[in-house]
Amino acid sequence: MAPMTEPPADSAAAEPADAEGAAEDVRPPEYRGRSLGLARRGLPLWWLLLLALVGAGVLVGPSIEHEADALANPDPAAADAVGQAFGQLPPGALVLVAMDADLGTYPEIRGTTVTALEDLLRRGASLAFVSVSVEGRAIAAAQLEALRSDGVPAERLLDLGFVSGAEAGMVRLVDGALRPGMSGPLPALVAQRGGGIGAFDLILLVGGSDIGPRTWVEQVGTRLPARPMVAIAPTFAQPELAPYLRTGQLSGLLATIRDDAAYVRGTTTGDSSGLLPSAFALRIGMLVALVVLLRQLALALPRLRGGSPAPEAVEQ
Amino acid sequence: MRRSLPIAITVVLGLLLLLDFVVINPTLAGLSEAILELVIVLAAAAAVAGGIALVLHHGRNLAERGEDLPGSVVLLAGFGVMLAAGFYPGSGGAGDPTVRWLVAAVLAPLVAALFAMLFVFLLRATGRGLLLRPRQTAVMVAAACVVVIFLLPVGGPLGGWLASAASWTQQVPMAGVFRGLLIGVAVVTAVQAARILLALDGADD
Repeated sequence: MAPMTEPPADSAAAEPADAEGAAEDVRPPEYRGRSLGLARRGLPLWWLLLLALVGAGVLVGPSIEHEADALANPDPAAADAVGQAFGQLPPGALVLVAMDADLGTYPEIRGTTVTALEDLLRRGASLAFVSVSVEGRAIAAAQLEALRSDGVPAERLLDLGFVSGAEAGMVRLVDGALRPGMSGPLPALVAQRGGGIGAFDLILLVGGSDIGPRTWVEQVGTRLPARPMVAIAPTFAQPELAPYLRTGQLSGLLATIRDDAAYVRGTTTGDSSGLLPSAFALRIGMLVALVVLLRQLALALPRLRGGSPAPEAVEQ
Repeated sequence: MRRSLPIAITVVLGLLLLLDFVVINPTLAGLSEAILELVIVLAAAAAVAGGIALVLHHGRNLAERGEDLPGSVVLLAGFGVMLAAGFYPGSGGAGDPTVRWLVAAVLAPLVAALFAMLFVFLLRATGRGLLLRPRQTAVMVAAACVVVIFLLPVGGPLGGWLASAASWTQQVPMAGVFRGLLIGVAVVTAVQAARILLALDGADD
């Protein structure tokens, strides 16, 4: 006869699927057999439902919302500052576009970047693109081609290419932005004005998670303090760039979706809905995140009153 | 001697670049420009060397039938396709239509998909964090909830109030914390740089 074993005190640990895991589970009793056990069996059903809801929001959102409904409460202050900086450009201005966005976060700022480039071209500016990041170079090449396809004259666009060396490359651009053998009206104008970044009337910084506006301000802005800089960056970069806006090192900053919405709506002449993310999809995604976070917080409340297990023990 | 030579080179080059930043002198400018050119060439060479090392590593992995063979095959195939698109006779390099198509149709969606997965992974990670360090993670999650609520894109008076609260949060507490962080990082960097320039860093002696 097989020896009888005592039934486990914790009912969750008695589940056959989690029996082995529960024996080694050093977490508090109320968590045993919960998330880790579910993770072994795959994602729980409610997770899949929430993900399906987010997916549906992304797919359906743009088709059911109207222009007026898109991104409520845009913030016009940042857009006004950028408009003011662009408005102070002289006729036929030269603008350097420092394209260092990354492929992961560029979708958030693509609409704003495209709108800003169109805005500058409408004001008569010529654009020169340069990148010190590899992904930024890929985006710059695509953007240049898109502008050419849209009929922007070749003599108003200049491709300064990719500069390796990150910060060292930026510093070298201050004195010499032109590559050997470059010819044409724009390179000639840049050469006539000194050949470096000082030849440009404004620097438009398009940043991402790799190298971004902060590095440009630190490396180039300190060497050319009189050169106005305007930045477009994803939302996560806003807190680290805002201090530079306060000090005047940045003339303008578009770094939140509300800033972007205000700028795109105020600048685009036609329908701007395709240039902004869907507010409906954003709402669904944020509500789903909120539900999950609050649920996890509620589950953790009993643990907050007691002592926490040693992290080393849980990691083991 | 083996350790003092790199320190001496660092000190001399660092002081040279620092002097060029604060003193206008054509000779200093020429020297620092030459150093920068050298750094740029070295960075480009390091990138090429990194690419070659990656190919050799995965090529050896395939030859020795090591771990994750499909991963090595995909990496080498992707590397080869991108190189061929950028280097075939008459190619326009990074601006070539084939390269742009590969970036727009393959690379960008893949990277965007990876970033989109952060949504799920971050939410799952908060659950793990609440298990490991409940108090610290609870503060972080509560702050995240408040920020998400403030940033909800809703219209009307409620949306206006939320937007004002979001602006205040960004401009006062968050800006203050980040300003302090930036100043702190700058001070520590300056101190560390000064220690290296003055050869006071005991670890390198």
